[in-house]
Amino acid sequence: MKKLGAFMCAIMLSVSVMAAQNPAINFVDDLAEDIITNVLTAEVTPEQKLEKFRDAFTKAVDLKSVGQFVLGVYWRKASDEDKQAFLDAFTEFTTKTWADRFDMYNGQDILFTGVRNAERNQYYVDSHIEDKEPVEVIWRLRQKGDSYKIIDIIVEGVSMAMSYRNEYSAILQQNGGNVKALAEELQKKSAAFNAKNPK
Amino acid sequence: MAKLKYIFIFCVLFLGLTGCATCPSDPEAAKLYHQTNDPLEPMNRTIFAFNQMAEGAILRPVAKGWRFVVPELVRNSVANFFDNLKQPVYFANALLQGEFKSAGAILGRFTLNTIWGVGGLFDVATEANVPNPANDFGQTLAKWGWSGDGGPYLMLPILGPSDVRDGIGRGVDAFAEPATWLVEPEVWYTGWVINNVNAYSDNMDLLKNLEKSSADYYAALRTMYRQNRAKKINSVLGNVKNEEEKAPAYAADFSDIDWEDE
Repeated sequence: MKKLGAFMCAIMLSVSVMAAQNPAINFVDDLAEDIITNVLTAEVTPEQKLEKFRDAFTKAVDLKSVGQFVLGVYWRKASDEDKQAFLDAFTEFTTKTWADRFDMYNGQDILFTGVRNAERNQYYVDSHIEDKEPVEVIWRLRQKGDSYKIIDIIVEGVSMAMSYRNEYSAILQQNGGNVKALAEELQKKSAAFNAKNPK
Repeated sequence: MAKLKYIFIFCVLFLGLTGCATCPSDPEAAKLYHQTNDPLEPMNRTIFAFNQMAEGAILRPVAKGWRFVVPELVRNSVANFFDNLKQPVYFANALLQGEFKSAGAILGRFTLNTIWGVGGLFDVATEANVPNPANDFGQTLAKWGWSGDGGPYLMLPILGPSDVRDGIGRGVDAFAEPATWLVEPEVWYTGWVINNVNAYSDNMDLLKNLEKSSADYYAALRTMYRQNRAKKINSVLGNVKNEEEKAPAYAADFSDIDWEDE
């Protein structure tokens, strides 16, 4: 039994060392930790909370590249002015809606199960959020020098980047590829977005 | 069977009233049209509008009341109880799919929860880390050759997002459920309503967030449903196991992006 215990300790130690040594996992782990302690469980007003979340979120997520991906074929056709208007509206809207999503966090554990190379300088960090049933969350990262940026979050097989792209394509197809109109719609939506649901 | 007949008549009627979407002529738009595979979109959107109305007027208020009155422990037990009733069907599907590891997990889960979980009220299996693969007949059809996206997207009245394959799958699973023929229809319907109100009350904050986070809620739900189903379908087809050869279904293609640092 003693031997088995020592063996288990050795395995656990090596697992945690492995986890500690992988910079991609560390990036997501630190980010989650930072958002949980400094935003979600911090004793601040809702406005301050949103601002703190905005800082962390816009720093960690490459919203410019995601925004470009989301517009798909319409990106190249749009004017620089419309592109910027869309990126601003998209950033504001995703910040608010994701702040609301993170706010549903109830103290569940996040377990990191591994990291895979997606392509060249991109990685998938696999994780599970321990709920009634574990929820699979995959973080797609892109390395940029010494640091990383999130370019996609995949929850139970649903890629956020692809979801926004498909949804917005449907809208742009309907309105004849009017990126400006989409940007205005998103602006309107985020202005009307109040984070707290009347429960 | 009568229920199915009415749903069918309802769909035909709607189709007659609203017609099909026509494929656009622009090649990019046509590509998107085929990817989305929603030729019944006008009918689907009409049904979706009806569903949203029913959700706002009936389901949401009832679910709020339910959540207010019924303690969380009981709500969890209700969910566990109905989930446990479905396990025999999941087991049969796992066998039909040749997923013997899943079949073993389901059998273990059902036994554990029925005996130690007091007839399924407590999910002791999950606490013991027994997985809940929930193999359904839509997956079985995929395994038998109907792979891909499962045919045209369907918005079912009350039941929500589906497609032709998974709609058939849901029907088969519901009829195969032992509870369907063992209890009186009134009891079955009551159970169905309780189960669904309970499940909705658990998810309504997330659903509200999704609705508020989208500029076109119908289109957002459609793509999320498709992607989530692709994960379940691929899990029995073995595609996800060959990641070396094939990019996973959730891999967005970022090859056209102008990265700032490149």
